Amino acid sequence: MAANQRTLVTGVIGSDTHIVGNRILSMALEKSGYKVVSLGALTPAGDFVKAAIETAADAILVSSLYGQGELDCRGFRDLCVEAGLDHILLYVGGNLIVGKHPWPAVEKIFLDMGFDRAAPPGTRVETVIEWLHEDFATRDRDLRRALD
Amino acid sequence: MNAPAAPDAATRLPLSEAPIPDEVFQNMRRANLARWPTGAEVDIDAAVERHKALPRHKQLAWVMREADRQRRCLTQPRGGCGTFNMHRDLMVTLDREGLADVVPTTTDSYTRNEQWQLAQHGIEESEKAGRSLLNGYPMVNYGVAKASQLVDAIDKPAIMLTGTAMPMLTGEIGYAGGYSGYLGSGIAYTTSYIKELTIEEGIRNYQYLDRLAALYQARGVELHRRQPGFLTGTNVPPSIAIVTCVLDCLLAAAQGVRNYGLEMGETLHLIQDAAAVAACRELCQDYLAKKGHRDVFTPVTLLHWMGAWPHDDAQSAAMIAYGGTLAAIAGANSVTTKSTHEAYGIPTPQANAEGLRMTRTAIYLARNIRLDGLPEYEREKALIGREVRPIVDKVLEMGDGDVAVGTVRAFEAGVLDVPWSPNRGVASRVLPARDADGYLRIVDPGRMPFPGDVMAVHEERLRKRAERENIPYGPDLAVSSVYEMSEPIAKLMSDRWAV
Repeated sequence: MAANQRTLVTGVIGSDTHIVGNRILSMALEKSGYKVVSLGALTPAGDFVKAAIETAADAILVSSLYGQGELDCRGFRDLCVEAGLDHILLYVGGNLIVGKHPWPAVEKIFLDMGFDRAAPPGTRVETVIEWLHEDFATRDRDLRRALD
Repeated sequence: MNAPAAPDAATRLPLSEAPIPDEVFQNMRRANLARWPTGAEVDIDAAVERHKALPRHKQLAWVMREADRQRRCLTQPRGGCGTFNMHRDLMVTLDREGLADVVPTTTDSYTRNEQWQLAQHGIEESEKAGRSLLNGYPMVNYGVAKASQLVDAIDKPAIMLTGTAMPMLTGEIGYAGGYSGYLGSGIAYTTSYIKELTIEEGIRNYQYLDRLAALYQARGVELHRRQPGFLTGTNVPPSIAIVTCVLDCLLAAAQGVRNYGLEMGETLHLIQDAAAVAACRELCQDYLAKKGHRDVFTPVTLLHWMGAWPHDDAQSAAMIAYGGTLAAIAGANSVTTKSTHEAYGIPTPQANAEGLRMTRTAIYLARNIRLDGLPEYEREKALIGREVRPIVDKVLEMGDGDVAVGTVRAFEAGVLDVPWSPNRGVASRVLPARDADGYLRIVDPGRMPFPGDVMAVHEERLRKRAERENIPYGPDLAVSSVYEMSEPIAKLMSDRWAV
């Protein structure tokens, strides 16, 4: 499947208003051929899932800059599974927990929550686009294998 | 969710800048204080006595006036923790180790959005984890007595930093506990910190807070109110900040506020920042006088860089020290500080205190240096005036002289606009970018009616940068300006010669 047929849901989770990076990311993803459903700032977890169902999205990209992402993202994968989105690709990125901590520890918290990728602060859009490319390619391969 | 703050639509007055009448305000206060159990702890008589008993060096209104008289540039950090004990320790560290002139309490983002049940959960989780999972102090959940203990734990004035368009309960509780300052305003925070709330509701919410400050004023207690003109903190040009400073200031003065600070994010260009501070002070006083307010004190605060920060501690340290230098030379009454942890999120109390001492040292070194008379400074200051006046005048005209009405109509029309706003009621078409010399300019004015000759100056400066860096003239300039300050210094200023 070509990249331009993929739909991505983006937004800033919880009570967080930091919209700038998320808006630039959404603009760049659109430019590189994705259909982007951009939910903007202050988006409850449930709204991401609802939008993903309504638009049959392939991935959800969650931003959090204010430190409370750790509280807001708990149970996010479960919400997706409950809604029937068992295999949807989940990314999270930003300043994800309160304070300055070594990145591997932070990454682990979010991968354990069921996110497929976690992006540290300062991650550039090019990196995210590469990740999406790789992850969708892997999924396509797995899917073909399952069908064979 | 909590009970909605919206009063009965049938009994509520039409939007205007006029002061809220006594009886209406009494009813509003009663309904507001009933929204969470700690609201019942607010007793205005006890609160007035509490403020009168504070030594004056712990009263922010007096401290700001005194700083202005002595031409001092005060320091104030941000900071808030999710539990009372952690937060008290933070305030004490900022006071003693950081030598902060003003000690802050930043509220957490659940409190900012009036989600007090979520905040309660955050307190419990933080206590369980032994570290703060909230990004600030849940002022409402802890209530008046605890707020009072926090004020008692320090020997400086305490200010609430609340990043919210819904200040009514937080403000009541903090002021009642002896906090003497509150940062927030209807236009600035509604355009910058919330997605769904209308500009009208944000203005109404802050008219309540300003009216509350006026109630204390009438009882002999001057409280400090402050406007966050830094807005979205993302390359906001001084003129756009100052337009909101003027309008919010007029709204506050109309409710009876007499001690109203104005904040702007640093552009990090020394001359532009100095020009901005002077222009802000003059333009606010000018419009206050036009509306008949002759006794409103309006000190100006600059804030350390509000955009994305570098991940290199050395680079960050330079921006902190330079930010102190800028504020001192600009003649700001105070500077709001950051730390070398900024790129990573919320700093430890120690890193926060270091940011304060770095800034303080820079202020000491730059004391009594001024740029008055320097041609480039005078030109820039005049340019800011030529940008601000046409917008403010248009807003007043659109409201038939009423600031509140004019503001709402102007946002609908895009005459008022804020770059990178999360609010659905803001066009957010205006796009700023940094020019070749490091000034913040406007690459696309959206529908803001800046005069043609002014926009020509902006375009000429920005085209120079586009040419030099080979970026197409347009929105790409704005995007690259968002990241510029967070880039590694080796990229911004290479140590290699181009061959």
